[in-house]
Amino acid sequence: MNVLVVLAIILFGLMYWIGRGKGIRSFIALFLNFAITFVTIILLTYRDAAISITLVACILISLINLFYINEITQKTKAAFYATLLTLGILLAVIFVVVHFSMTQGFGEEEVEELGMFSLQIGVNFEKIAMSMMIMGMIGAVTDTSIAIASSMNEVFFHHPAISRKALFCSGMSIGGDILGTTTNTLFFAFVGGYLALIIWVKDLNYSLGTLVNTKVFSSEVISVLCVGLGAILIIPITAWLTTRLLIKKTVK
Amino acid sequence: MKKIIQKNWLWFLFIIPCVVSILLVFNNDRYYQATIAQVTAVEESTPQEVIDLNQNKDQIISQKITARLTNGDQQGETVVLKNEYAVSKAYDQNYRIGNKLFVTVNQQSNGTSVASIKGVKRDTTLVCLGWLFLFVLVIIGKKKGLLSAISLGLNVVILSVALSQYTDSQGANLFLVMSLTVVFFTVTSLLLVSGCNGKAYAAILTTLAGTFIAVGIAYAVMKLTGERGLRFEEMQFLTRSPREVFLASILVGSLGAVMDIAITMSAAVYELYAKNPAIESKALLKSGMEIGKDVMGTMANVLFFAYVSGAIPMMILYLRNGAAIGYTTAMNLSLELARALAGSIGIVLTIPLGLWISILFIQKGSEKK
Repeated sequence: MNVLVVLAIILFGLMYWIGRGKGIRSFIALFLNFAITFVTIILLTYRDAAISITLVACILISLINLFYINEITQKTKAAFYATLLTLGILLAVIFVVVHFSMTQGFGEEEVEELGMFSLQIGVNFEKIAMSMMIMGMIGAVTDTSIAIASSMNEVFFHHPAISRKALFCSGMSIGGDILGTTTNTLFFAFVGGYLALIIWVKDLNYSLGTLVNTKVFSSEVISVLCVGLGAILIIPITAWLTTRLLIKKTVK
Repeated sequence: MKKIIQKNWLWFLFIIPCVVSILLVFNNDRYYQATIAQVTAVEESTPQEVIDLNQNKDQIISQKITARLTNGDQQGETVVLKNEYAVSKAYDQNYRIGNKLFVTVNQQSNGTSVASIKGVKRDTTLVCLGWLFLFVLVIIGKKKGLLSAISLGLNVVILSVALSQYTDSQGANLFLVMSLTVVFFTVTSLLLVSGCNGKAYAAILTTLAGTFIAVGIAYAVMKLTGERGLRFEEMQFLTRSPREVFLASILVGSLGAVMDIAITMSAAVYELYAKNPAIESKALLKSGMEIGKDVMGTMANVLFFAYVSGAIPMMILYLRNGAAIGYTTAMNLSLELARALAGSIGIVLTIPLGLWISILFIQKGSEKK
C-alpha cells in the first residue's frame, strides 16, 4: 500500500471519530482543496493568466472552506468578503515585493540540479511566484477569518445591544489571541517544508551577507513574511466587515 | 512634545531602530567584500524568439548595462555589464536602472571596465518587508503581537543555533537534534504566550505528545508500506539521509499546528472549569470535543496550502518539460502531501489528548486543595 493512501485513511478515521458528520465534511473539503490546487497547477502551466487563475482558485477554495464545512450564515459571509479583500491587498504587496526582490523562479543552487530541464519555457515566473504566495496563504487566511467571525457572532448573540465600536474591539481582541498561534503555525510549517533546503544552505557555509542575498534563501523568507502578513491583516478586516454586516442588519 | 514622547515611548523604541536599519541597509555596500555596482543605464536588444525541445516558445533579450561601482578600490568607476534574459525569467533576470548587483570586474579595455554579474542585492527588500511585517504585527496585535514577535525571533535563533550545531558536528543525528529543539520551541513559545500556569503546562505536555505521536505514526506507516509512493529524489542534493531529514521535517512542520490546537483545547477546558468549578469531566470532554470539531478542518487546510504551494514552480517546470503528470506529482508533491497528512493526523489526535491532559491537570490541581 502507498504511504499517502494509508496516511489519508488514518486521517479520515480520526476525523470521523472526533467529528462524525463534520469530520467527514472536513476530510472531503481537504480532498476538494487538493483537486482544485491540482487543476490550478495544470492551468498555470498551460494558460497565460496566472493571477486570474489563482484568484478564481482561491475564491473556490474559500467557498469550500467557509460555506461547505460551515454553513451560509452572516458570519461565513463576512469571513468570505474579508478573505477576498485581504487577498486583493496582499496581491498588491506581493507584486511590489517580487518586483524589487527578483526572487521568482529558481536560484543558482537549484538550477545545478535541473541540468536536464529547459528553463526557457515561456511561462511568466514573476506571476507564478505571486500565485505561489497567494496559494500559500489562502488556508491560513480563511482559518483566521472564520475563527474571528464566529467568535464575534457569539459575542453579538449574547449582547445584541452591543455598539459597533465595542463589537469591533472584541473582534480585535479575539484576533490578538489567534495571531500568535497562527504566525507560529505558519513559521513552523514553512521551516518543516524548507528544512532540507535550510540544511543544505547551512552545509554550503555561506556567510550571512551572502545568504540573505541569495535567491533560494531570500525567496523563502519573503514567502513566510508575505503569508504571515496575510494572516495578520485578515484580523482587522474580518472584525470590521463582521461588525458592519451584523449591526447594520439589526438597525434596519 | 514631551508628553507625546512619554506616551509613545514604546513606538519610538520601534521607529528608531527601524529607520536606522533601513538607512543602513540602503548604504551598506562598503561592508560587503564582494564588489557592488548600481545600474545607471540599460540598453535592450530586440527580442529573439527561441523554441526549446518541447516546443515552448520564449523570447531572449540581451541587455547592455552601464553601472557605477559603489564599493571597493574602484568605487565610483563605471563598468559595462552584459546580461541576457528569457522573458519567462525562470532563472535569469532583467535589470533596471537603480538595481544594485554583485559583480566581478574582469578586465579593462580602452578605459572601460567590463564586469560580470554574480547576483542581486536583495537585503534591502528583505529588511523593509521584515519591518512592515513587524509593524503590522504589533499595530494589530498590540502587546500580544509584540510577544509573538519576540517568540518568533527567539525561535529563529534557536533553530539557527541548533542547525549550526548539527551541520558542524560529524555524525550527529538530525532527528535527535530536532527533537531537543522542538522541546525548546514548545516551552518558550507557550510560556511566552500564556505565562507560567497550569494551562500552559498542560498545553506543553499535549503539544509534545501530539507531535511525537504524529511522527511515530508517519514512521510506522513508512516502515509497514516499505515507503511506497514517497519519492526522496526531491532531496537528492542533500549529502545526508533524506529519510532522517524528512522525519525531522514532519516533526517541526506539525509542531506549530499541534501547538495551536493544544493551547485552544487547554484554554477552553480551563475557561469552562473557571466558570463552573463543579463541572463534571464528562461535560468538559463533550464541550471540548465540540470546539475541536470546528477547528480541525481549517487547521488541516492551513498546513496543506503552506506545504503544497511551495511545489508549484517546480511542477510547472516539470510539466512544461514534457514530464508526465503522474511522475511530476510523485516527484514534487509526495513528500509535501505526506507532511500535510502526518501534520493533520497530529492536529486531530491533539484534540482528545489536549482534553484528557487538561482535565487530568485540573483534577490533580483540585485534589491538592
